[in-house]
Amino acid sequence: MLTTAALLEPLARIRTNEVVVTTMSVVRPWGLLSDSDLDFASADSAMGHAADLALGVALAQPDRTVISLNGDGSMLMCLGTLATVVETGAQNFVLIVSDNGKYEITGNQPVACAGQIDYALLAEAVGFARVYRFDDAAAWEAALPGVLAREGPTFVHVKAESGTQGPIGRASTEAARYLQHSLADWSEIMRLALSPEGST
Amino acid sequence: MSEPSGTVQLLLDSGITHVVGIPDNTSGPLFDAVSAHATLALITVTREGEAFALASGLWLGGASPLVVIQNTGLLEAGDSLRGTALRMAAPIPMLVTGRGYAKMTRAGVSPAEQRTMELLTRADVDSTALFTEPTFDAWGIPFRRCEGDADPIAAIAATIADARSERRPTAVIMARGLI
Repeated sequence: MLTTAALLEPLARIRTNEVVVTTMSVVRPWGLLSDSDLDFASADSAMGHAADLALGVALAQPDRTVISLNGDGSMLMCLGTLATVVETGAQNFVLIVSDNGKYEITGNQPVACAGQIDYALLAEAVGFARVYRFDDAAAWEAALPGVLAREGPTFVHVKAESGTQGPIGRASTEAARYLQHSLADWSEIMRLALSPEGST
Repeated sequence: MSEPSGTVQLLLDSGITHVVGIPDNTSGPLFDAVSAHATLALITVTREGEAFALASGLWLGGASPLVVIQNTGLLEAGDSLRGTALRMAAPIPMLVTGRGYAKMTRAGVSPAEQRTMELLTRADVDSTALFTEPTFDAWGIPFRRCEGDADPIAAIAATIADARSERRPTAVIMARGLI
C-alpha cells in the first residue's frame, strides 16, 4: 500500500503543464507539493463530482493532459462518471483513485464494501483504454511517466494507506495557495493559465 | 413551437460549444439534433449532478456549455450545482424542461399553495413543478418560464445572454412541446 506522500511526490516531481484536480484527502498534501495555477482543489464539496469537473477541463483542452486525483469514497458516489468518461473518449484524461477504504477527512469511517471493490475491474468493464493497478510505491514511481504519456482514457487504481487529513476549507491561513482564494477567484486564475494568452 | 434545428442554430450563433445533460420527452428532439450536428458537441451524462460539474470544467477550459436537464434532475443535482458552477461564478445557462406544470394546471393548483402533505401526496399533482421555482429562488439562480405562445428561441437566447452578463448560472424552464 502507498502512503499519500508516496502517491503524490513522484507525480509532483515529473509534472510539467498537466492540469491536476484534487479532492478530499489529497487536497492539502498536493497543495504543499505544488504551487501551479493549473492545480484545482474541489474543496467546496460537490458530492463526488471532482472527476466530472476534471473531465470537462480535459474535453475543453484536448492537447493537455488532465489528471483527476480522486478518492474511493468520491468514486463510489459517482460510478456513472466511468461511463461518461469512456463515452467521451477523452484520450488526455487520467483518473486516479486513491483507495484507502475510508472517508478520511471525516475521521476515517469505512466506505461501503471497503477493501472489497476492484475499481480497476470496474474501469475495464466500462471500457477504459488503459487501466493500471498499483499497491507498491516503487512500481508506481517507475510506471508513472508511461501512465501519463500514453493515450487514454486512463484509469489508475492505487491501494493507499489512510491518513489523518481533516476537513478542508478556504482561508488566507491555509498553506496551500489554491486554498487561500475563493473558488470564484481561483477559477479566474486557472482560466487565465489555460487561455492562449496565459498558456502555461 | 420551434424546430430543433432552429435551437441548434441559436446555440451556434451564441457561441455554445457543448450541450451537456440527459434527455426527456421534451428535450429528446433537441438531443437528436445536436447529436447529428458536426461541430456542436453533445455530452450525455448519467446523473444530472455530473452535468453541472462537467460543464463547469468545460468553462474552466475555455469552452461555453449549455446544460439541458429535466426539473426532476435539477433537484438531484443540488450540491453539484452549488459546489461547482455557483461557487465558481461560472456563466452556465441551463435549459430545464418543466415536468408537472401541465398537470398542476389541470389540477387547479397554484404554485404558491402551501405545501401540505395532502397537496404533496395528491395523485393528480406532480410535486416536481411545485418545487422547481422555489428551488431556483433558494439557490439564487435567476430563471424565466417559457410557455404558451412565448418564443422559445428568444427565451434561450436571453438565458444565455444573462448568464454571461451577470457571470452566474441562469435558467429557462421550458414547457413541453416548445422545443
